[in-house]
Amino acid sequence: MKNIKNIKMDFVSATILDDKPKEKRINFILNKVKDGTILVTDGVLKPDEEMELIRETMRRVDDGFPGIEVASLKRQSKGALALIEKFSDQKERVQTLIAGLTGKVPEKTSMRTGLTLIGPARFIKKIKKNPDSFSVFTEL
Amino acid sequence: MVKFLDWLYALFGMKKNVRLGIYGSVNVGKTTIANRISKDWTGEEVGKVSKIPHETRFVQKKEKIELKHKNKKIMLNLLDMPGLATKIDYREFLKYGISKRAAKQRAKEATDGVIEAIKWLSNVDTVLAVMDATQDPLTQINITLLGNLEARKIPVIIVANKIDKKKAKPQAIRDAFPQYPVVEVSGLKGTNIDKLYEHIAKYSGRAR
Repeated sequence: MKNIKNIKMDFVSATILDDKPKEKRINFILNKVKDGTILVTDGVLKPDEEMELIRETMRRVDDGFPGIEVASLKRQSKGALALIEKFSDQKERVQTLIAGLTGKVPEKTSMRTGLTLIGPARFIKKIKKNPDSFSVFTEL
Repeated sequence: MVKFLDWLYALFGMKKNVRLGIYGSVNVGKTTIANRISKDWTGEEVGKVSKIPHETRFVQKKEKIELKHKNKKIMLNLLDMPGLATKIDYREFLKYGISKRAAKQRAKEATDGVIEAIKWLSNVDTVLAVMDATQDPLTQINITLLGNLEARKIPVIIVANKIDKKKAKPQAIRDAFPQYPVVEVSGLKGTNIDKLYEHIAKYSGRAR
């Protein structure tokens, strides 16, 4: 990892991440973060993707890269939108199940509406999270 | 006969052997809770406790713990997991007087431990999500852990640990995660441990 004097922040549209399958999506995020970039996206990873992100981070931890700090804010959908999202979740589960049974590569899944910040733990020292906001504390 | 027994257990919402996973962030008191449960029912401890983070770097098991609560009996396989983390920096361990070489080895084992703990998520029946009541509960680790358990339909009991400490605010955990059962305990002193057993008896082995 390079010596960091300035912070680079990339704001990436969730549609760019949506276009990638799960593994490539996590690779994309970690490659950027390991290079010293703070990544902000207008989408929220699914719980299993968040866990996969942690697992993949652990695989990449070395002397220069101690890991990541991550925080997300999920937009709580109400009414009809919540129903549509629930239906979409079920549809994706069925697609994944079918893909697993047929041995085909699982379909891409969409990120949920919200906000995610992922950055290198080397200089993000703390993220203070509240239900509707979060603050990022850095140290260069 | 075995199938019939399994069916019978399932009928009453019980599993024959419940794999109880103890999960949570680093240094929240998972092994202290595991030791308390194991010592109460078997007289033996599960693992060593330390102030140095990532003392538990391998999954520690204690099998065939027979837990009794009122007229209910549960056979537990206790699984004390390494602490979940998004970062592990060997330099943190140097503060505790560990040599650089030992610190790097500890960090390597700790990262493997996190990976192993995540792998075990697909192999547990019930989870105790341990949180330190003196710390802010709204961490990404807690949120990610609970989200995964919910998606996998694994019953979860939040254990608000360290309530013996002056700074403890277990209500903050209840406020952060109102949809989950929360038991306030001190694993160290044994405070409210019967309430924890009551919850384990109530929630363990419920069908996924």
